Amino acid sequence: MKEMVAGLEIHVELSTKSKIFCACSTAFGAKPNTHCCPVCTGQPGALPVLNKAVVEYAVRAGLALNSRINTRTHLDRKNYFYPDLPKAYQISQYDEPLCEGGYIELDSGKKIRLKRIHIEEDAGKLVHEKGFTYIDYNRGGVPLIEIVSLPDISSSAEAREFVEKMQLIMRYIGVSDCKMQEGSLRCDVNISVKEGDGPLNIHTEIKNLNSVSFMCEAMDFEFSRQCDVLAAGGKVEKATLRFDTSTGETYPMRTKEDENDYRYFPEPDVPVIEIEPSLLEGIKDSLPELPSIKINRYINDFGIKAQNAELVCRYHKVAAFVEGAIAEGASPKNAVNFTLGTIFSTLGTEEGKELFEIKTTASQFAALIKLLDTGKINSSMASSALVKMLDTGKDFTEFIKADDMHGISEGDLIDICRKVVEENAGTVGEIKGGKTKAMGALLGAVARATKGKADMKKAEEIVKELISV
Amino acid sequence: MTKDDVKTLARLSRLAFTDEECEAFLPEMDEIVAFAGTVNSEIEGDTSTVRLSSDEMKFDDLREDEILPSLPSDKILSNVEGDDGYFTVKRFIK
Amino acid sequence: MRALIEKAAGMLRRGEISSVELTKAYIEEIKKGRAYNAYVFETFDTALEAAREADRRIAAGDAGILCGIPFALKDNICTDGVETTCCSKILSGFRPYYSATVYEKLLSCGAVLLGKTNMDEFAMGSTSETSCHGAPLNPRDTGRVTGGSSGGSAAAVAAHLAAFALGSDTGGSVRQPAAFCGTVGFKPSYGAVSRYGLIAYASSLDQIGPLTSSVSDAAIVFDAIRGKDSRDLTSKDIFFGKTNLTGDVRGLRIGYVKEYFDGLDPEISGAIDTAIKAYVKAGAEVVKLSVPELPATLPVYYIIACAEASSNLGRYDGIRYGARCKNYTDVDDLITRTRSEGFGKEVQKRIMLGTYVLSSGYYDAYYKKACEMRSRIRTRFDSVFSSCDVLFAPVAPSCAFPLGYAAKNAMDTYKSDLYTVPVNIAGLPSVSLPCGATKDGLPIGMQIIGNRFDDERVLSVAYYMEREHVFDLEEVEGGGAL
Repeated sequence: MKEMVAGLEIHVELSTKSKIFCACSTAFGAKPNTHCCPVCTGQPGALPVLNKAVVEYAVRAGLALNSRINTRTHLDRKNYFYPDLPKAYQISQYDEPLCEGGYIELDSGKKIRLKRIHIEEDAGKLVHEKGFTYIDYNRGGVPLIEIVSLPDISSSAEAREFVEKMQLIMRYIGVSDCKMQEGSLRCDVNISVKEGDGPLNIHTEIKNLNSVSFMCEAMDFEFSRQCDVLAAGGKVEKATLRFDTSTGETYPMRTKEDENDYRYFPEPDVPVIEIEPSLLEGIKDSLPELPSIKINRYINDFGIKAQNAELVCRYHKVAAFVEGAIAEGASPKNAVNFTLGTIFSTLGTEEGKELFEIKTTASQFAALIKLLDTGKINSSMASSALVKMLDTGKDFTEFIKADDMHGISEGDLIDICRKVVEENAGTVGEIKGGKTKAMGALLGAVARATKGKADMKKAEEIVKELISV
Repeated sequence: MTKDDVKTLARLSRLAFTDEECEAFLPEMDEIVAFAGTVNSEIEGDTSTVRLSSDEMKFDDLREDEILPSLPSDKILSNVEGDDGYFTVKRFIK
Repeated sequence: MRALIEKAAGMLRRGEISSVELTKAYIEEIKKGRAYNAYVFETFDTALEAAREADRRIAAGDAGILCGIPFALKDNICTDGVETTCCSKILSGFRPYYSATVYEKLLSCGAVLLGKTNMDEFAMGSTSETSCHGAPLNPRDTGRVTGGSSGGSAAAVAAHLAAFALGSDTGGSVRQPAAFCGTVGFKPSYGAVSRYGLIAYASSLDQIGPLTSSVSDAAIVFDAIRGKDSRDLTSKDIFFGKTNLTGDVRGLRIGYVKEYFDGLDPEISGAIDTAIKAYVKAGAEVVKLSVPELPATLPVYYIIACAEASSNLGRYDGIRYGARCKNYTDVDDLITRTRSEGFGKEVQKRIMLGTYVLSSGYYDAYYKKACEMRSRIRTRFDSVFSSCDVLFAPVAPSCAFPLGYAAKNAMDTYKSDLYTVPVNIAGLPSVSLPCGATKDGLPIGMQIIGNRFDDERVLSVAYYMEREHVFDLEEVEGGGAL
């Protein structure tokens, strides 16, 4: 019985405004070398000035992932030569990382433990074209946290869940948007094979995977490759690998011996950082509700179906929107249903839901939902108004006239339904006798009696209850 | 220290020495390394708990997260022959 | 010792001379003194422009003491638009588009930059002979070295080619050339002066300091350049206001650490003893102390300095600035050849040593041990300064070496840094000032060392020497500018 044993190193780009050691912008997509200064291009004599928000964001991440925060921490230099690394060293953390320990709990209840979280700077970007390599240092000095897990992962599915949960938490606590397509989340995988109770085999490391699906493909390929090697009586060689997305295979990176001697030593330009306990308390108190807790609250306090609760909470902007509407007085049930129904149908893709760029504000949405909650309008009216609101960004008042709003309150509707049932005893008898189609006639009578203002779905529920079918 | 040690160090430092240069350099390296090594005779016992850095700063001494204008890219590239806003080297990855 | 800056500032304020005239006079002196090889880049055109502006400020009554005063900067201090090369081939042609904080501060005072001074390549040396521009010559004896690494700055001040100069001191590079050339050199506490724009040799040891004709001049320049800088996290405001030079030595406890004097050349120890006697006569007392770790500071210094240097100098890869080798095959070849061709032998040697002490397998035995020793040395100095106020110590075991000596005696030259490096290891302030001359007429310097951030006291105690004329070194001929 061969089992996968894997650990992840995830690099998350922090969404601070300025870079980690200088005041240049971190914004993505600018013209080359326009978000640059002497510090982030490694000019002689320039010195790093650590960004307070980087430490704060990393502490937030640590607290959200149940880590222990080191109140005394320092930076180190990792020395190697590469054209995207302007100082020939990356400022990172080696033996006194900001956060240690922690875990993420999977749905199965299994905890994937974390080893550490540290802060570091990103490198620049290389573009290889025609006869040249072009170097752009805009990304150089963008702050990263590296989250290192213990080898607790035993399948690519677990790895996927781990990364997705981690991404969601990062978005909830506002430290990163984790946009993989902009390179703001990248991961390395350490992977090895364990056979029964036997010892752990040598592991390989797959570097620089920039999407969750590639990560899973790479892990599955590498696991079966290692299994094949072992089955053929061979030995897995320690190696650093890359994943070729076109072939779906891993291949070894060309590295020379001793290339991995990074000669870490403490960064002399940045003093040791002391973090007062009161600061940690403050950050802890400011942390928002995390997704797992929010899902439970939706289920238990609001009576939302588990599946719907998860759907809302999967996208932190969606959850924030629903939360905002509820805070403005909308009923949780209607707010959730109309978000997952009408709003989601206008967003389409996963990415659309993630970005959640809609023209309607939470309070505009709440105002509409409250009409529905109080029975002033019915759900089909609400839905068609919402579509127009989403389209234009205007208030519901543009689409629902005051006249339309004298909807029927639930109490009045019950009275009307009771009357209709009493007056149509014959039809009721037919329905009870199994002629369900006759229901239409009853509801038609209700519609006439309410001049079409009643929520017919609701009316049907009431009628069915009255005649107990 | 051997000639191979010197070559390994040179490789890590991105310096190149010919065999003759290596040969000539070896005694000098030996001398300075031996001298540096005298620190070992001064220190006995476990050094594993040593704090390597000494000066400290508070969280509040750090820089606020504010953007200041970057420099124009012609300044950034003023000490090289840039190409269309980029630093360039001969292509080194296929 | 002359209070040159104060004198010039007085003349400027009273209109006896204009800054343009003063600057022109210094330019003439520099032209006459080119044989000293003190300057590697001259900025005469911009100097005259700056002098004209200074004259306007003086006329408008908007001038501090340094307004209109001509000065020089060591070639490792970045000057916007002016070549800054660390006297290394690898930075040939490099013009920074930003300025060091110290340079900005001096410019805002209205001081007038005359040019950049010669130095050991990347400040690695004790004689300034590793400069790619050739060695500067000692104005006291042109057959001898200026000392280093701030040799050009020391020569410029000693030969009156600038009213003052800035140098940098990593293991004695301000104090030792000051002693060799017979000027005052002040190495402030680590953190007192911003390092932003100082091209790093060893970041945890580097500190910028003035070379001047007098202690009072050093205090004026120190006041102009010090202070916390938002661009350097290791900088601090150590005190506010002007350095107060009382020269009051009554009750002063002078620490006499025997390890500094064991086996010291009697001519040098004699000169320092004479100075100590003058202080005792004025009411100071001598406290005998011991720093057994002193000999160990030297290997500690070379390990830490070279480790940091090997990392700091990684950025010279030919990609963003400076020299780039021709006809490379790939990027690795580009980096390796650029560095091999661009760095001189001494720099390469220190990079190699630094790489060695940080590499896996050797880190614990060298770098880590050195750090442990460093913290012991700091602790020792803490206790030393609980029983005395300042230390009197030699600067170097000898006077200026003959030219060419260091190349043949590498280890001896390294070992000659013994008396200056402890100050850097512990981050202390120390002023080097002339306290005597050999029978051949070569200046002898001594150090007055204080506790961390006790810079004011160090200068104040040194000022007594000057005010009371305890020892006056003969001036180098010339000095026609004033």
